[in-house]
Amino acid sequence: MKTLRTLFIAIILMAVAPMTAQTADEILNNYFENTGGISAWNALEGTKMIGSANAQGMEIPIEMYQMKDGKQLLKINIQGQEMTQYSFDGETMWTTNFMTMLPEKSDAETTDNMKKNVGDFPSPFLNYKEKGYTVEYLGKETKEGTETFKMKLTQKPVMVDGVEEPTVSFYYFETENYVPIMSESQIPSGPQKGQMSVSNFSDYQEVGGLYFPFSISMSGQGITMKEIVLNPEADATMFAFPTAVEEKIEDKK
Amino acid sequence: MKKIFIFFLLALTFSFTGNAQEEISLKGKQLFGDMRARQIGPALMSGRINDLESHPTNPRIIYAGTAGGGVWKSNDGGATFAPIFDEHVQSIGVVTLDPTNPDQNIWVGTGETWTRNSVSIGDGLFKSIDGGANFEEVPGFENSERITSVVINPKNNQEIYVGVLGALWGDSTDRGVYKTTDGGASWNNILYVGPSTGASDVIMDPTNPNILYASMWQFRRSGWGFNSGGINSALYKSTNGGASWDKIHTGFPTGQLGRIAVAVAPSDASILYAVLETEDKSKNGLWKSLNAGKSWEHLNNDFGLVVRPFYFSRIVIDPKNPDIVLKGGLNGSISRDGGATFKNLGNMHSDIHDLAFHINDSDMIFSGTDGGVYRSWNGGTTFEIVENLPLSQFYHISVDDAVPYNVYGGLQDNGSWYGPSSSPGGVNARDWNSVGYGDGFRVLKHPTKNIVYSEMQGAENVWRYDIDRNRTKTIQPLPKKGDPELRFNWNAPMAVSNHQPDRFYMASQFLHVSENMGDSWTIISPDLTTNDKQKQDQSKSGGLSVDNSGAENHTTIFTIAESPLDEKIIWIGTDDGNVQVTTNAGESWSNVTANLTGIPANTWVYHIEASIHGKGTAYAVFDGHTMGDMKPYAMKTTDYGKTWSSIISKDIQENAFVRNIQEDYVNEDLLFLGTEMGLYVTIDGGKGWSHFTNNMPPVAVHFIDMQKRTNDIVMGTHGRGVIILDDISPLRELNQDVLSKKVHFFKTNPFTMLEESGFAGSFGAETQFVGPNKSTAARIIYYLKKRHTFGKMTMELQDMQGNKVLSLNPGKSKGINIVDWNFNTANPKMAAAKTLSFGGFTSPRVPQGQYKVVLKKGKQTFEHIIETKYDSNSLTSLEERKEQEALTQTMFNMVEDLAYLVYKIGQIQQKANQVIAAKGKATKEAQKILTTTEALRKDLVITSGDNYVATAEPELRERMGALYSNIATSYDRVDGSLKSNFELINEEYEREKARFQKIMAKEGKKFMKVLEKNNLGMPSIKTKKEFLTKD
Repeated sequence: MKTLRTLFIAIILMAVAPMTAQTADEILNNYFENTGGISAWNALEGTKMIGSANAQGMEIPIEMYQMKDGKQLLKINIQGQEMTQYSFDGETMWTTNFMTMLPEKSDAETTDNMKKNVGDFPSPFLNYKEKGYTVEYLGKETKEGTETFKMKLTQKPVMVDGVEEPTVSFYYFETENYVPIMSESQIPSGPQKGQMSVSNFSDYQEVGGLYFPFSISMSGQGITMKEIVLNPEADATMFAFPTAVEEKIEDKK
Repeated sequence: MKKIFIFFLLALTFSFTGNAQEEISLKGKQLFGDMRARQIGPALMSGRINDLESHPTNPRIIYAGTAGGGVWKSNDGGATFAPIFDEHVQSIGVVTLDPTNPDQNIWVGTGETWTRNSVSIGDGLFKSIDGGANFEEVPGFENSERITSVVINPKNNQEIYVGVLGALWGDSTDRGVYKTTDGGASWNNILYVGPSTGASDVIMDPTNPNILYASMWQFRRSGWGFNSGGINSALYKSTNGGASWDKIHTGFPTGQLGRIAVAVAPSDASILYAVLETEDKSKNGLWKSLNAGKSWEHLNNDFGLVVRPFYFSRIVIDPKNPDIVLKGGLNGSISRDGGATFKNLGNMHSDIHDLAFHINDSDMIFSGTDGGVYRSWNGGTTFEIVENLPLSQFYHISVDDAVPYNVYGGLQDNGSWYGPSSSPGGVNARDWNSVGYGDGFRVLKHPTKNIVYSEMQGAENVWRYDIDRNRTKTIQPLPKKGDPELRFNWNAPMAVSNHQPDRFYMASQFLHVSENMGDSWTIISPDLTTNDKQKQDQSKSGGLSVDNSGAENHTTIFTIAESPLDEKIIWIGTDDGNVQVTTNAGESWSNVTANLTGIPANTWVYHIEASIHGKGTAYAVFDGHTMGDMKPYAMKTTDYGKTWSSIISKDIQENAFVRNIQEDYVNEDLLFLGTEMGLYVTIDGGKGWSHFTNNMPPVAVHFIDMQKRTNDIVMGTHGRGVIILDDISPLRELNQDVLSKKVHFFKTNPFTMLEESGFAGSFGAETQFVGPNKSTAARIIYYLKKRHTFGKMTMELQDMQGNKVLSLNPGKSKGINIVDWNFNTANPKMAAAKTLSFGGFTSPRVPQGQYKVVLKKGKQTFEHIIETKYDSNSLTSLEERKEQEALTQTMFNMVEDLAYLVYKIGQIQQKANQVIAAKGKATKEAQKILTTTEALRKDLVITSGDNYVATAEPELRERMGALYSNIATSYDRVDGSLKSNFELINEEYEREKARFQKIMAKEGKKFMKVLEKNNLGMPSIKTKKEFLTKD
């Protein structure tokens, strides 16, 4: 069965590659079909990604949960200490303060922005119309030395320093196989505001019939996945702001 | 296995689609992969601004359209700016926001409009509909050269007017006012006066979009003169959306007019201001109309109002108060009484081209100058510079052989400078040193002494600056008895000899040589130019306003090239088209101009490169833009100029005129071409060229030098400062054989592991430009025939025995990939504790030697060997270095050993806690082992506090970690203090280990026994090897 699917994918890749005229939806359809099929992607409830961030000798283990309902968290492990880099339970977004190692809630604007774009799982392009996003095909461009389709994704506007701004990013799908190999999103705030933050995707591999990039480079920081678990068990309390701390803070008041 | 199969299948599928015999021709981004240019600024003296544009409702947003560095956007009210137009031509005329959708729709008219001698050219009209993330060219303006105005009807954004100033150096019918009523799909030229008259201002009445004003300007520049004014210059008004136009000159003097600036008061549409250039000096300057142009009254002809109209014709009126008027100029002027009187604006860089009031608070004023953007908070009295606009406009650059090497160069209106190519914390403004005043041009370092030659315009001063002694001497060649008047170019050529360190060349119409660093000079040529007298009278240059700055001096020598192989062979090129060569140090000269087939007569010889690959070999590039010819020209000769062949291919943009060429000193076929539209590279001697665009805008490249030790290509750009392409050596190896390989590793020389550990304060970096440094890491460079997308691809560094040193993140681009390795191995695994041990983040450096790069791609493995070597400037002897490495390893092992000990304690405690929680048998023993091991653990690691000021006292782990880090990062020998501290820590650790053994022998034994007896299971403890395995 698996071999059949593999063969099928290879044939699809071969069949669609020579096509020239493209629309955004055709490109996206090819992407989802080539990587497991739209129904399989729609059936996905969540992922747990286990991997490491690698920087010149330092390998920091990471664990990332992303759920269909928008819940997500990123845990890192430094010197045997596990800490939640950020977490969002659908309502509250929080991070761990590196000085105190205690959780702190993110500011209201950041949390609201997170809420506005919770539909990104497993891909912001999946059912993008229902999510209220727009996608536009902008033409071919050479990225990572190879020919790509450039796609513009507009998500719901977010608030930046008190002012509403559009959420725009660009994705580059390799023309040969229709998978995204690069994304660019505008840095929303700070001195780099408006400059592009670039992520690269490669090492696509199959997990339970779906293809995921096992290697991601975000603004030059490499992240390698060791394992991707589909539909992981995820207790809601994992994502919630730790109540014990909340009480402690209350006590102090 | 399955994944491999997929990969195999994919590979198979695609291998049939290409023809294996076909020649592989990679261009641009496909070839260069992730080779990226490095922009080091400086922004210290920024560069010329052409146009400022405020957002109509959001005061945080302001745009700067620059003369040669593209469009920059500020999102923070002008504190900092970032470039948004880096994929297009960098010479900007105007930036206009669509008033109906100012967040998204941005129009950029290219080609600077303050038409000095050194201006660049534009390349059409562009539009963004996504806030500047992407721009597309609007058809119809391909030949516009310079666009002054884009005016959009605020009630209907489909109706747009574009003012085209047009060609500066020749006639053109692409001029005047254009209109679209369909958002830019189609255009009509609605005001055209003649082939030498363009639109210098087009504005719209703020209350009635059918009322327009347009000033038309007759102007022309040549290589040797400038003319502003004529009977066609005029001010027009239309009241019917441009269907018809009337001159509105009532009150103006008759006769010829020059450049006219016009502005309408935003708060009162009946008030207009105009600045006129006329035949009658007393009538020049500011005029005002109180009846929307029906009649005019002359108000002011102060210096600030009449100065250099071609350069400073901009009036800006306070959005709320029609009596407050700003005027661009040498210093800039402000009137607060409706134009009757003016005072200078506060101190800032001179030459103010545009000004903008803050939309809500007129006390805040932005100013665009020859030296960047300035801000005032007090109505124009005090100005501060924006510190992160690296727009410097180099005419020339050179490099020395220091470590790191320095870059020398001169700037338009901003003096001469040198600064390091790398500096602690990045190349900062404070790293740059001034070595000349005025306009700066060529700056050359003496080959052996710490002496710098620099100059100002027209060689009015040539300085020899002794850096060590801080002494300057003026050394330009001066005429002696019997000499004719010397004609120096505005950008006068100079050269140092490759063969005699003190020999220094300069050229007027003659070649001058000095054997004593400029103290005395000898002329060693006849007049090598055409000596065309018609091109030599600059006293009348300027037209209505005489503008004899020296910028138009012509029939001069422009480039000098001494052969690196033979000091007697010298090439010169002149601004009027001559190439001449001597093979006997000037005794005789051959004029080889006639042999330059395909080069139009009198085309400016911008640069000659005497080749290192043959005595008779040279390259010459020609720039015809001052005759209206923008085509690229580059020629090569191998026979002393007897025959030449063009090395230009169709890959080069047709208006990318050439200013410079640099050959590689190793591979004769590798050449770098500096054009008005950026850098081009050929790997086959000019048969095909690739545009280099990785972090490199298509900015005018005026000069290229190559640093031979580092193989860096260093570019002096006219608008984006110094841009460096680090280590181009991989390009030397590219050929069909390499390009057809799946993976190819490029050869690299042994990498020096620099032992530098200085300080770098980053004060001011929040808002200042800081140029990135050259990487000091080992660069693993490889070519991939195809972008790696499916399946696993990893890179591991191993010692020669195959032991893993560490994993690296490989690049996956098609083309050239570069992976940096900073010579580190993995950092140690630290004992778990309540807080972090910062010493534990240290990764030891590898010893010098050979290492294997193992790249695994799918099921294939590719290997390559690289070599590292110690810094020759090391403070230690080899023996001491080896001792430091051994002790580092000892400490590394000790740190990990402690981590394992703490882990074991943790596992035992975990079991004990389980037993206690179950409240069954063995609770007593469990409690006992828990108590004893916890007492030990508290001495081993920190168990309370945080990472900041609530931190606990350091325990053994922290002290051990700190010592490990101190030893591992030391570039000096490990001596006294570190060694005695080692003894202390080592002893302490031995003691604690013994303590653990004792606990295990007593409480531990009892606990294990009782566990076993009651079948409670043993603590699960990994072997040390398992524990330390990171993957």
